[in-house]
Amino acid sequence: MNQAEIRKLIPALRVAMTPKKRRFSNPRGPEGRLFKMRTTVNELIKNERMEVNYNRADEARGYAERLISEAIRYGDCHRPTMELADFWLPEKQNVHKLFKVLVPRFKDSEISYTRVHKAPHVYPSTLFDKVVLELRGNPFPPLEKLTTKRNWIHNILLEEAHREYLEKKYKQEGEEEEEVQ
Amino acid sequence: MLSAVPRRIFHTFFRKPPAQRVTAKVPPYIRDQLDSNTDNEQPLPHDFRTVYPEFLPDPRPEWRNRLRERLERNDMLTRRSVVAIPEFYIGSIMAVTVGDRNASDKTNRFVGICISRGGTGLRAWFNLRNVIDHQGLEIMYEMYSPLIRNIEVLRLEKRLDEELLYLRDALPEYSTFPLDMEPELLPEGAPVPINDIKVKLKPRPWHERWERKNLQGVQDLGLPQRFYNKAKLHEKPWEKYDLMMEYRATIPEEEQADIFHEIAPHYQQLESSRRQSKRRLAQTSRY
Repeated sequence: MNQAEIRKLIPALRVAMTPKKRRFSNPRGPEGRLFKMRTTVNELIKNERMEVNYNRADEARGYAERLISEAIRYGDCHRPTMELADFWLPEKQNVHKLFKVLVPRFKDSEISYTRVHKAPHVYPSTLFDKVVLELRGNPFPPLEKLTTKRNWIHNILLEEAHREYLEKKYKQEGEEEEEVQ
Repeated sequence: MLSAVPRRIFHTFFRKPPAQRVTAKVPPYIRDQLDSNTDNEQPLPHDFRTVYPEFLPDPRPEWRNRLRERLERNDMLTRRSVVAIPEFYIGSIMAVTVGDRNASDKTNRFVGICISRGGTGLRAWFNLRNVIDHQGLEIMYEMYSPLIRNIEVLRLEKRLDEELLYLRDALPEYSTFPLDMEPELLPEGAPVPINDIKVKLKPRPWHERWERKNLQGVQDLGLPQRFYNKAKLHEKPWEKYDLMMEYRATIPEEEQADIFHEIAPHYQQLESSRRQSKRRLAQTSRY
């Protein structure tokens, strides 16, 4: 029919996606593929940061984003959303985490809920591209390079010198004012 | 040194990844910048996308072209200002008049039940089915075709199913409608009624395996148990959890809002043509 599906209104994804799904080979067929995705999504919600192959991370990322956005939109009192969470998170403590930790964390977010960083190949390993997939706002130290130059030693020294100079100047001005009075 | 590594282990670790076709990714949707001069934030009716589904583009990213879609929407509005295309659903009974140079009065009128509807933009279409002289007839009409003179909705209603293709295998009385049928009018502002008729299918062989389609609008199919067992094997219960499949089949909410805000200035005209066609129906029914 190639007409857009109109029964459900879905908010736009905040990450780029492939136009077609990746067909991960699996003896259980499309159902098995979805179970593979489920393992990754469940681990991501549980550990908040994980290292996986790029293809799998990129595919599972969309599912995780959609799951979180559904949870934010409908909450935990909506039966279809609860069924979704029940399917996608086989470890049941993650269902509580999704609704009680992640929904408040991402409720007012304007950007994507997940991030992907390139990861190195550690010898010996396969030649598949590795990435680190993580939830935003996780408690781990950041992976991205620090872009601020404030902590550079000469910047710290310069800042300190500037502060000293200002202090000295204000002191002098105060003394001069006292003399005038 | 590498030669010391056993062949099997070597291939495990230094295996080349399978060659992949690199396809461009679909970037996240960014909303249109609303122009403050024009009043873009007009309230829109909630049933906009059910009444005018063909204004939404085809969701397949490979086939998208924003400029083409916008131009098509303009053309559709222009065509709608000439020929009133009424609100209809699958299961509605309609009459369509098209120009036909081989007919004696240069027009051809067909009455039938809408059994399927599809296509987007200027290529939107619907199928009408009727049984005339014991012969099942189906005609596909393109909604924005210049040949179309008039589209009337004789009975506005919905059915329990999304497609009524099973009427091909049903008894003929379920798809027989008189050609001189009178238009039936709904009271102003009433919801579209849902006809919960259960159709009786003819015995097999059929065009499709209807026992696998989870049809709501048919009576008991009366098949041996082995057919239902086979149908159970072909069910895909995991598809309702496939969030990305669902997403790839839809246009995101923000984009729909932008599209309908774009045609909102023409909404009065669309509505008035809808009302005019209703009034014309009322007049024709009076005489």
